Amino acid sequence: MENVKEKKILIVDDEPEIRMMIEKFLRKEGFFRVYTAGNCASALSICRKDKPDIAILDIMLPDGDGFSLLSSIRQFSNMPILYLSACGEDEDRLLGLGLGADDYIVKPFLPRELLLRLIAILRRVYSFPLAENKTVFQLGDQTIDLDSAIVRNIQEEVHLTAKEHAILVKLFENQGRIVTSDALCQAVWGDDSYGYENTLMVHIRRVREKIEPDPSNPTHLLTVRGLGYKLLVKEKT
Amino acid sequence: MEGIARILRRFVATTIIISFLLLIFNFILLATLIFKEINQKPSPEGMVKELAESLFMLEESYQADAHSYNLLQDTQAWAMLIDDDGDVQWDYHLPNEIPLSYNIVDVAKLSRYYLMDYPVFIWEHQDGLVVLGYPKDSYGKYQLNFLSDWLRSLPLRLLWLLLLNIAVALFISIIIGTRLIRGIRPLVAGVHSLAKDEAVELNTEGILGDLAQSINKGSTILQDKTIALKARDEARSNWIAGISHDIRTPLSMVLGYSSELEENSDLPQEQRAQAAIIRRQGEKLRSLISDLNLVSLLEYEMQPLNMRPLRLSALARQAVADFLNNGLGSQYDIDLKLTEEAIRINGDEKLLLRAINNLVQNCVRHNPQGCSITVETSLDNSRAQYLLIIRDNGKGISIDQLEMITELPYSFNRRRSLQQGHGLGLPMVARIARTHHGSLILNSHPVKEGLEAILEFPVQFNHKTDA
Repeated sequence: MENVKEKKILIVDDEPEIRMMIEKFLRKEGFFRVYTAGNCASALSICRKDKPDIAILDIMLPDGDGFSLLSSIRQFSNMPILYLSACGEDEDRLLGLGLGADDYIVKPFLPRELLLRLIAILRRVYSFPLAENKTVFQLGDQTIDLDSAIVRNIQEEVHLTAKEHAILVKLFENQGRIVTSDALCQAVWGDDSYGYENTLMVHIRRVREKIEPDPSNPTHLLTVRGLGYKLLVKEKT
Repeated sequence: MEGIARILRRFVATTIIISFLLLIFNFILLATLIFKEINQKPSPEGMVKELAESLFMLEESYQADAHSYNLLQDTQAWAMLIDDDGDVQWDYHLPNEIPLSYNIVDVAKLSRYYLMDYPVFIWEHQDGLVVLGYPKDSYGKYQLNFLSDWLRSLPLRLLWLLLLNIAVALFISIIIGTRLIRGIRPLVAGVHSLAKDEAVELNTEGILGDLAQSINKGSTILQDKTIALKARDEARSNWIAGISHDIRTPLSMVLGYSSELEENSDLPQEQRAQAAIIRRQGEKLRSLISDLNLVSLLEYEMQPLNMRPLRLSALARQAVADFLNNGLGSQYDIDLKLTEEAIRINGDEKLLLRAINNLVQNCVRHNPQGCSITVETSLDNSRAQYLLIIRDNGKGISIDQLEMITELPYSFNRRRSLQQGHGLGLPMVARIARTHHGSLILNSHPVKEGLEAILEFPVQFNHKTDA
């Protein structure tokens, strides 16, 4: 298995101290192929020559901005891009993400956060096996396969309807956290879904009949009174 | 334009009233000025009557009384008495050319008009006819003859006269009024535009040119001021944005190295704890500058808004769920009381969520010993405002602090700062509410304890669907 730490990382920032800090931090975390550039021109030449696997770009650079740099890079490379910028406005964020950046972090940042997001992108793009990315999970004795919308236990296989599937996907994405009934309705019936609360309750009951050993005493799909629902996934050990 | 129609209506009404008053005034003038000296006093009719009554036979000749003689003398008139045969029986100062005998034709003639160019007046006497003559050219005598039909229809004709007068007055007043309005209309439109802070450029010709010029000048001044104000707001907002941008890079380094020191297992525990303090304070600074930026954008109305109809109840539920998901301490207890959930308001989801979050966070931060928080939504009594009420039973705020707590820290209206937090939380909520045409009302109960924050937003009426 190829190691994430072997990936080549390019840091582009006009502040030498920031470059130094990120480089030091990445090296300490085990990355050893780190390149730095202080402007667009040198960044582009490094991109052509060394073909980094991911670039961390600042937006304000002495000879241009990070958005046009991204466009230039995109002409010859599809490598993932992470913006690290002092411009925290929504427009900048949306512009960056709209241009095809993989993430956008606003300065000031915690190095730990940068590292986590960087690794997440690398794993996603270079498809390292990810524990949290699986859509098949265990609930007690049942195996729930969200890819094929099937609940399996020892004796039988039960299919989930489209709505039940949508509910479970939303809850699974936020497992362990309360999902409000409004958010669930929106996930299932789309915008302007007010008035579906009772229908949602009916669907939740059907889901419980399929995944809970005792549907009237749920242990996995819990009701949080007045707020919504919560899915508890306990990793089987 | 409604205002102009009102002006025209009043103008026409006033014109008609003025015409009426003028008519009445004219009648009065007719009586007092024109028909006043139609006769000298006493009137010829009165005089001839008096003469006829005072003329009587005395010792074979006629004699009038002294008063009549005096009158005749004063008016330089002459007089005679013609008997039934047409002969003059008595006379007074009779001019030479007047004949002394009359036939019936002569009498008929003189009874109407003149006798030898002398204006004469007659009166019946028991013995004949008294004739009173005035000097030549002293009176004009005219005969008026009327058809009796004409006389009968006179009131109707007078009515017609009046009606036609009214019609003409109305017509003329409408024409004059419309012309005036046509002149005024651009001015009225200009003043209305001024009120709406729009640029005005009026034609300065015509009788109201002065006024138009003044309005144009006022508009220019207003526009200049608006532009200057906007430029200043923009400069301030950009200044804050610039400063917060420049703080971000050094702060990145503070956060970066302090968290590195904090995680460095080679360092003694004490130093790592100190690094953690530096990191936490740096994070506080980070939230401060982002809040500062948002507040300044809201203050100068430069925050881009993404307004759409949304249900405040859903946002309240979301905010509470977020608090619970992020691990709210067990000493806090959140209670939801949502009513009229279908009601929508027009708002920016992110900003409103931020406002609710700030208010709940406020309860948490100021009551570290724990409290119970109630989040409530409802319609107000008029059903035009939707309320979001966040209440706690914590220690509350003193009344004098309550008044200035929504002002920006360090501003003129708020000199004292609060002990906890950076003091931008509530000003931000107040500004978010204002951006949504709503308001933030804060109450602290001296008896019941705790703080009550009420967010009030106008209800979005045209989007009340699927209840």
